[in-house]
Parts: sequence; structure tokens; C-alpha cells
Amino acid sequence: MGTHPAIRLSGLRKSFGAVEAVAGVDLDVADGEFFAMLGPSGSGKTTVLRLIAGFEQPTGGTVALGGRNVTGLAPHRRDVNTVFQDYALFPHLTVLENIEYGLKVRKVPKRDRRRRAEEALEQVRLPGFGGRRPGAMSGGQRQRVALARALVNRPRVLLLDEPLGALDRRLREQMQVELKALHREVGITFVFVTHDQDEALTMSDRVAVFDAGRIVQCGSPQQVYEHPATAFVAGFVGSSNVVTGPAARALFGRSGAFSVRPEKLILKEAGAPGTVAEVIYAGATTRYVVDLDAGARVVVARQNSGGGDAVHKGERTGVAWPDEHVIEIPSGEDENDALATDDRAVDPERPDADRVR
Amino acid sequence: MSPRVRLAALLAAPVVWLVVAYLGALATLFVSAFWTVNGFTGATVKRFSLGNFETILREDVYRTVTLRSVGVAAAVTVLCAVLALPMAYFMAKVASARARPWLVIAVLTPLWASYLVKAYAWRVLLANGGPLDTLLGGPGRGPGYGLPAVVLVLAYLWLPYMILPVYAGLERLPDSVLEASADLGARGWRTFRAITVPLIVPSIVAGAVFTFSLSLGDYITVQIVGGKTQLIGNLVYANVGAANNLPFAAALATIPVLIMVIYLVAVRRSGALEEL
Repeated sequence: MGTHPAIRLSGLRKSFGAVEAVAGVDLDVADGEFFAMLGPSGSGKTTVLRLIAGFEQPTGGTVALGGRNVTGLAPHRRDVNTVFQDYALFPHLTVLENIEYGLKVRKVPKRDRRRRAEEALEQVRLPGFGGRRPGAMSGGQRQRVALARALVNRPRVLLLDEPLGALDRRLREQMQVELKALHREVGITFVFVTHDQDEALTMSDRVAVFDAGRIVQCGSPQQVYEHPATAFVAGFVGSSNVVTGPAARALFGRSGAFSVRPEKLILKEAGAPGTVAEVIYAGATTRYVVDLDAGARVVVARQNSGGGDAVHKGERTGVAWPDEHVIEIPSGEDENDALATDDRAVDPERPDADRVR
Repeated sequence: MSPRVRLAALLAAPVVWLVVAYLGALATLFVSAFWTVNGFTGATVKRFSLGNFETILREDVYRTVTLRSVGVAAAVTVLCAVLALPMAYFMAKVASARARPWLVIAVLTPLWASYLVKAYAWRVLLANGGPLDTLLGGPGRGPGYGLPAVVLVLAYLWLPYMILPVYAGLERLPDSVLEASADLGARGWRTFRAITVPLIVPSIVAGAVFTFSLSLGDYITVQIVGGKTQLIGNLVYANVGAANNLPFAAALATIPVLIMVIYLVAVRRSGALEEL
């Protein structure tokens, strides 16, 4: 498919009245990539998706698909298809008619489109459902029909807006696996928007983390998780203990901001001393909130595999960590509270240094 | 008081109203349709007779007027639907959220003005050499009084009853469904034809219940701008007044009731009645 990236966004901006939803986004997505846009609601990720699809026109910047500048073009003139959050199936058409719609609009002969629609139904594992109406199907089935309706057009890019958001947990996990398989099978670029960090980490080749209309970090799931670029990323992608100020000096011997994942911390007598403030049982793991004498509050996650002594609320304990799991957060932000599940905006002056490729 | 007594007390007034005023009037109408009038004394003969209905079926004039009335009601309904669709679409999907309530108010405002005044305003507009004629280039160029004028004025009068259900239907239609159509390659017109219109057919049918039934029973507009045109309503009015034949008027009045019942039964399946 040539040397051009499937999607290239340059200086993309979008304002709704006084609100700047997208505040300058630069991004390249390669052909065949499974790309996730992750962020809290209102961070601009869905707007970026809608700008790529053409449902919104940018206030500034450009959108290029496969090297072709499509800024200003209507949705029907872009080689992308979208799976909507609410699926947006046509309720008055049967499943087969829904899937054929795009082919019919593009004047594909009737026999061809019938065959392709039935193939698409098999691809999403719903053979024989063609005669049904969307209203008579479950959420998971509708999701598959929406996928088939988009994929049958063989677009260069498939956009998915919170595709699994409306499904229950079990179905969601099953669809995650199936979406991965489908991506391998069709080999096109998938871009999906999600606020669920597990989903972003497990499914995608690369993740862009959005905050306040910007991409604050873009990289592989491993990079984003293991080396968060900012305190925001550390807090949003998985939970993390961010330690700063005097506590950081006391615990790590250096000043700066440091992030340690709860599952990397170990409860151990010989560690940094502290008091257990809270014990939270969460099924597979138990989370211990520990107030360290050094002045920081950290969360320690422990597998409930039977090992280790029970630790109770109010007891004295120690917290230890392998040094390689202490990650220094590059930007010089002043973090005062040590328990960072915070969602504070990052420094707006910071340039988008995280652009990858 | 037991809940049962309280419930009875609560429902007494509406039940009395429904039985006496609503069903009672309808029953009286239906029963009196089978009475006759003594041609010599003018007194009502309260004895069962199919005479009125035989006359209606036998005489060509009644069939002609019935067909004309249905034709006018259908034409008004189609005209209202054609006008209401783009208007309601603009209100629901194009106008800003802030402008929307003002547009609804603008659509409703004419309903506050007297029906009679509005009909007479149209009489002035349509007069020979009147404003409409002048606009179209001279006396006699406009439609003048007659059947077209009746359709035009009725469509004007009942338009809000079509716009409101269509607007409500469009507002319920998720934007994502229209976006999905564009996403799949359809231009605006194609989306409108293949997605929007089929999905709001129930709303249009709901609006048609009003425009059709209101047109079917109207006689005042016909008198004011209809010229010599007569619809069922005019025949009913003539038999109540000049001819003083109430039973025959009642028999004539059952025709639009029957037509509406047939219409409502026919559209029941489309889901339109849930849109009302």
C-alpha cells in the first residue's frame, strides 16, 4: 500500500464554541496497525475519530488518508468505515440489507453484494442471521453486524468508537479476542477509541494516551505502561504510585517524580517502614494502602495465591521494591500527593514531544 | 377509605364524562341515523329505518361528494407531509439546540389564532384581483375560490398537526444512524430517501390521522373559499339547518366516522398509533 501512513494527522484542532476539544494533534498510524486512542471522557479522542471519519470538520490542521489530503471531504468520500458506539444499525432493514447497504450505494451488482454480505456474516460468526431485524438481536450480535457492515466495504481504515463499551464483561473479553483475530484476518488498519486501559493494552499494537485534547504519550502498550511519560499517564494507564518531593528523596535517594506500580511493591518487614491504613479485597488480588513513615501513601497489590502472612489494618509493616521498577517521570511536575490516581491536566506548555514515527 | 373507593372517586368524573358526553353523543348520532322525518309535519319519526342509508347509496350525488371529500382529505395530507418533512428536518437536525424551542413555538403560534379569521384572511388573499392574483401577474391568475383553494387553505390550517409528530420522530432518530449512512458512502439525498423517510413513516402516518380527519369533517373553509364546492360536512350542515332533517344529517355524518375507523384499523399495524 505504498510508503504513506494509513492516517496522518497534522496540527489537528477542533473547537466547539469556546471549548477546544482537540488542541493540536500530530499522529501517524501505519498501514495494518491496531491502534488505540485511550483517554478519559472529554479528552478529545472521540472527536479525533470523528475528524478522521469526516463527521466533523477541523478548525485547523489536516487529515490525510494513505497520503491523500481528505480535510474538508464529506464522510462518503473517505475510504474509512466506522463501527459506532450505539452500532447505529438501520432498524427498518434486515441484517443482510444492513450489510449490503454500502455496496448497494456503490452500485455493486446484486449477486456480488449478496455473496460478499454473506461472507461478511460468516466472518463475524453470524451465518444464517441475514433475515433478522436488528431489533430482534442481542447487543453482542448487533455489534457483530455493525462490524460486518463496515468490513464488507473493504475500507483502508476501520474506525471503532468504544466498540465494546455496551457489552457485559464476559462478552467484552470474548469480543476482544475476536477483534484481534479479525484484524489479523483482514489486515487493514484498525483505530479504536476507548476509555478502558485494559482494552487498550491487551488489544493494540500502539496506544496514544489523550488528555485535554492532546496526545500525552504514544507508544507500544509496554512502553506506555512501563515507562509512563507523565504522572497523568502513570495514573490513567493502570494505577500507579507516584512519589515526589521529600518522600522521594527519602525513599529513592534522589529528588524528582517517581512511579511504581502497585503490583511491583512487596510487603516485607525489611522494607521501608509504614502502617497499613486500609485493606481492600478484590478477588484475585488484595490491595493494601500503606502510609509510609517517609511521608508517602502507597498502594501495594498482592496476589491472593495463599503465600505471605495476612496483614491487617493498623499493623506495622514494611514495603520493598526492585529498583528496576521505579520509573522516573521525565517532566518536572510538582506532585504533592503521593497516591496518584489523579487526573490533573498536564502542563499545557509542554510540546507534543511524544510523537512517534 | 379503602383504596378501591378512593380509586372509584378518582375515576368517577372521567368515566361519567366518557360514557355520557363522549360515547353518549356518538351513540345518539348512530341511533338517530336510523330515524326518519315526516315529510309533511317535519317531526322526527323515532322508528328504525334503513331509508337514510338507502338514499345515500342510491343517489349519485352522495357518492360523488364522499369521493371528493376523501380526495380533498388525501390531497391535504400529502401536501402537509411534503411541506412538513423539510421543515421538521430543519428543526430537529439542522437548527441549533437553542433555536429549537423557538421554532416549535413558531409552528404552534398560528393555532392560537381563530380558525375563522385565518380562513377569511385566505379569502382576501385568494379574491379575484387580490394579493395572490397580483403576485402571479394579474386578475384571474391565482387559483381563485374552488376546490384547489379548499385544499390549499386546509393544508395551511392543519400543517402544525403534521409538523409536530414528524419533528418528534426525527428528534428520536439518532444522529449516528444518519452518520452511518454517510459513512457507508451515501450522499445526503440518498440518506434522506433510504433511511430518514422510511424511519419516520410512523410519525407521518400519525400526523395524517389529524390532517385527514380534520379535513374530512370540515365545512367552514369550504364555505369561505370553496366557491360552489361541497364536501360531506356541507351536506351535514345543510341537513341540520335548511332542510331540518337531523336523522339524514346523522346518517351522512357516519360516513367520515366510518372512513376514519377504516383508516385507523389500517394503520394500527404500522406503529403510528404509538406516535400520537
